[in-house]
Amino acid sequence: MNVLFTWLDWLWVAAFLLLMIGSGVLFYRLGRRSQSDFFLAGRGLPWWLPASSVYATHTATDTPMWITGIIYRHGLAGIWYTFFSAWAAISAFVSTRIFRRSLAYTQAEWNVVRFTGLGAEMLRGWMAGWQVFMNMFVLGWVGIAMGKVCAFLFGWPLWVGLVSFSSVCAVYVLAAGYWGVVMADFQQGVIAFLVIMIVSIWGIMTAGGPTGIVEKLTILGETDRLNPFAFTGWWTGEFPAAWFVTMMVIAILGGFGMGTSIDWYPEAQRIQSARTVRDASYSIWWGTLVGLVRNSVWAVAILGFFVLFPGMTETAEYEMGWFRLGFDYLPVGMVGFFFAAILAIHLSTISSHLNLGALYATRDLYQHYWNPEASERTLVWVGRWSTLILLLGSFVYGLMMENITEWLIFALWIMTAGIWLPNILQVIWWRFNAWGYLSAWIANLGFSWLVVWILPEFGVIPELLDYQQFWLLMLLGVGVFIPVTLLTKPEPMDHLVKYYVQARPLGWWGPVRREAERRGLIQPDAPPRRALSQS
Amino acid sequence: MPLVRRTWTAEEADKWTREDGFAIALSPICYFGLTLGVALCLLLRWEGFAISAVSIALIVWMHWIIDPKMKAISEEYEKNQQGYLRDLEDSVRWKQREQDAP
Repeated sequence: MNVLFTWLDWLWVAAFLLLMIGSGVLFYRLGRRSQSDFFLAGRGLPWWLPASSVYATHTATDTPMWITGIIYRHGLAGIWYTFFSAWAAISAFVSTRIFRRSLAYTQAEWNVVRFTGLGAEMLRGWMAGWQVFMNMFVLGWVGIAMGKVCAFLFGWPLWVGLVSFSSVCAVYVLAAGYWGVVMADFQQGVIAFLVIMIVSIWGIMTAGGPTGIVEKLTILGETDRLNPFAFTGWWTGEFPAAWFVTMMVIAILGGFGMGTSIDWYPEAQRIQSARTVRDASYSIWWGTLVGLVRNSVWAVAILGFFVLFPGMTETAEYEMGWFRLGFDYLPVGMVGFFFAAILAIHLSTISSHLNLGALYATRDLYQHYWNPEASERTLVWVGRWSTLILLLGSFVYGLMMENITEWLIFALWIMTAGIWLPNILQVIWWRFNAWGYLSAWIANLGFSWLVVWILPEFGVIPELLDYQQFWLLMLLGVGVFIPVTLLTKPEPMDHLVKYYVQARPLGWWGPVRREAERRGLIQPDAPPRRALSQS
Repeated sequence: MPLVRRTWTAEEADKWTREDGFAIALSPICYFGLTLGVALCLLLRWEGFAISAVSIALIVWMHWIIDPKMKAISEEYEKNQQGYLRDLEDSVRWKQREQDAP
């Protein structure tokens, strides 16, 4: 489809872009002061600013496509696929609190706060490299989604949408760093939330309102789509209850750990940019809640799209459903406002990942391994060069994305399945050490290839469902990282005590706590009836 | 002894207590309830309004429980933050490692 824009529509778009670039100019002086300002806004933000950034960052151009796809396919039950972000429920009061107290700029740096020695340095280097790559990949992924939207709307070649808007975004990220990101995210978050509500409710009303949607689904014989717990059985089918339970476990218990979701990595930056531990916790909690509410609104709008256009079979066709609700049905003059909101959605994600990837490149790779004595001015400039390289790299990734998507989705799965439990253990168990964690990463790389691709290909095992893959990979990993942990030395007690006193982790830290008490660094524990699993 | 404690010294607040347990238990329920409740509200189902109302009440209760403790933790921690930041900067410059060496 080619959408006809009036002058008023273009005015909305131009005004919005000027507002965003203005953020960069306005906060340029703050962003250039130091590394801490360029990447963490000086660690001084009230909770609602990083919260709006959490929400805005995780509202990307491909998010409505993905949610539309699963709701169109599974009905309201598909909403549980979007519940993965609920890791923040427990994290806000456990791992967010612990991570904020560590003060580590990145999750890679946290490894040398929690562990020590060669293993910790290997973990830091590996994680920093992986995150630079992942951020470039996400930039390419989200960028090409914008290319598809522009191709759908205006008939532009894919590269135009990819390159043009990411480049505009880079202006304010290069100028003001995280200050520009978070200030623009606040505006973008507000605009995106309002427009998502307007378009979704408009779509619901166009489909006949809530009552009309229910009636039409009844006529179509699709009332199961209204049931949020309509699974395909306990163990089998496209969406069994076992997969629902697995997703709940991954999401909710994952909050005890760090890195159990790929969203943890951008959130870690927002956590450290908050001015206090309390602000960090609330920013993660409230930012995520707004995202979950948004998903619910989207889900009902997509049910409306389904009754308007039932029977679509091509994913590429129905995943554009929410965009069609806006562009097909909003009145003239509002279409540009809708497009400006799509730009808001797009730029907030691009800016966050540009700055985050540059943070890992600057803090963990350049400064720690290349030039430890670099001045603050140099570090800000390295941050800017890293941002530019990430931007250019994302264009390359974006244009080759169709070929590598399958491989990269597999790579994301690696991040979740076999590393999920070690990501929790590193937080809650004093005895878990760098070698155990490193062995989990390495083992998981091998096991994932075997379980997901190689063994089913040769008929050694059947092709497993997602939940089966998760539990099997987790068990196989346990068989490696637990023996490695127990057969290697614990982290030195001096280092653990220092970490414990600073971060006060939850879980099985008894020997470390007692040593800290013996040294007089902390007061003896509270009476047992109030204590919560401190040993 | 009240079920929920709302006054804390910094040292007491640093420990993991029953109040943290309440927040850890209530928080996922609030998320689950509002995700489900809002969707059902938009379909004008009465269960949606009931679930959303209960979830909002739980959010208020959860914050009432945990907020005094979070304030106490933050106030105490901020006093020590500058020292911890100096250690972190030493660590990124490999200085801490050299000092720790025998």
